Amino acid sequence: MRDIVFWLSGAALAFLLTAGAFLLLANLATAPSEKSLNPDRAPGGSGHTLDLQLDRERLASLEPLPDQSLDLAVENGGGEQLSHVNVTLIVSSENTALSDPRYYRQTVEKLRAGGIANVRFEFDLVAPEQPVARPPAATPEPSREILELRATTPEGNSTIRTVILPP
Amino acid sequence: MLFRVASVERFALAVLSIAAILAVGCAHTDEEVSIEPLVPAAGRVDPGLGPGTRALSSGPGYKGSPSWSPGGARIAFTVDGYVVDKPTGSEDLRRWTTRDFIAEDTEWESNDTLMILGAAPPSGGKEISSSLYRTRAREDELELETVEKEVSAISPNREGLIFAFGGAPNESRLALTRGGGKINRLYNRPIRGRVAALSVSPDGEEAVLAVRPPGDRETSGLHEFDLRKGEGREITRLDGNQEILGTPQWTEHGPYFVAGKRGGSVDSDGSEPLYEIYHVPVEGGAPEPAPGMGEDFVAASIRISPDGKRLAVIGRLNPEAPTNLYVLDPLVEDFTAVTTNEDMEIKTGPDDLAWSPGGKSVAVIARGTPSTEPEVHADPADRLLRDFYNLYEIPVGRTPR
Repeated sequence: MRDIVFWLSGAALAFLLTAGAFLLLANLATAPSEKSLNPDRAPGGSGHTLDLQLDRERLASLEPLPDQSLDLAVENGGGEQLSHVNVTLIVSSENTALSDPRYYRQTVEKLRAGGIANVRFEFDLVAPEQPVARPPAATPEPSREILELRATTPEGNSTIRTVILPP
Repeated sequence: MLFRVASVERFALAVLSIAAILAVGCAHTDEEVSIEPLVPAAGRVDPGLGPGTRALSSGPGYKGSPSWSPGGARIAFTVDGYVVDKPTGSEDLRRWTTRDFIAEDTEWESNDTLMILGAAPPSGGKEISSSLYRTRAREDELELETVEKEVSAISPNREGLIFAFGGAPNESRLALTRGGGKINRLYNRPIRGRVAALSVSPDGEEAVLAVRPPGDRETSGLHEFDLRKGEGREITRLDGNQEILGTPQWTEHGPYFVAGKRGGSVDSDGSEPLYEIYHVPVEGGAPEPAPGMGEDFVAASIRISPDGKRLAVIGRLNPEAPTNLYVLDPLVEDFTAVTTNEDMEIKTGPDDLAWSPGGKSVAVIARGTPSTEPEVHADPADRLLRDFYNLYEIPVGRTPR
């Protein structure tokens, strides 16, 4: 009887010791990986040196008409002056079967460290016409317009903003 | 005293022995498995579509009609009407038609040949009618070879591709092409009415057809066609203004199809199902609601698994519930939710789902709910997922029998 009690007590104690050790190891092992997750980083971007700031109210007021304008701010968040920043606006349709994208470009010269430059784009936001009458099944919904803004520097810094405008 | 010392020693020995057994038993015997780097799109799959879901496309474009290549390594689909395909593991998109082409459906003839049901851009304001085209993967050429005109429906089978055609408004015929752009068998027995959709049974011996009878405004007739004998018959015809939606499917237990009132609206209390799945027993008889799905289920599209035993179903548990993917096993009347998504809009077109060749996953098309305000993202448009309809591969567990 005493032997049985010994073995049962020993088994319980050993189980608790082992489980505790594994829990400790598991916590130690998982702690660093939580810090490495960064899912929202823009691909091709290089840190936070360049930033593009858009005015949401201005975006909401854009209409599918010619002669639209959009103001944005280019910010040099790095520690060195940028010799120049190329800012490109690509206007395209959600409907990829329609006409090719339209490109607009502006250049900001000598953007000092921590400095902000304002850029204005004037562009055509008229939705391209469909060349042929397509059946409803092909694209049954009105297409949205897409504005893609890319800022790049000769030093290899870049950032991007994609704006999807509701129909 | 001696007894006590011996007891303590035995106790310590017991603890150490059991701890050693537990430690060895719990230890990893395999080497660490490395996690493969995520391809750009797959890294941002919306978790609402379930664990293991993989994005198969990204970026803008109204996508539809997914179709896996025979080996499962590529997937073809339509984007705003034109046809593309890509490897399932990379973003290397390949276009098969001009951008002004209007495709309805695509099926693979082989790993480098596609059959496309659609229409080339019309000239002079002519009415568009669909034809069956064949095209091969080439480096710089987009060349379509016409197989047959006035084609209304296609379905792959073991021998090749079965298609329905017919210029006359009150008559359709079936034909088989085994490849090479030739018609290898023309079934002489005409089908009264216009074949709106067709599919072939997994054993390749029967076709089930949704037919719009002469003088009828709705696709209300369900036909079966024996592909060995070349004979067909009407199984059932729906009453009133009921119509068959999409493509009926042939299971081991007879045909299944989605049907409901044409243009019907949900009752004011929101409780009336619009479309239901019906089943016609192999021995014949009137259609019956498919078992095991619940009275309120609203079905949108169905597709039979490669082994003919399970139906992938896109639908809603009730008219106010979100759309999800389900699998129905008719034999055991098991109806399982594969996704329990509440945020994504799963596309409900009749051809907007496809089983992988091995039957382990289903491709669906989904997007997040579009915003009424401008949306700003820090990714290029061609890498965005949930803002546009995109293809997702959703693993489907095997239903135990």
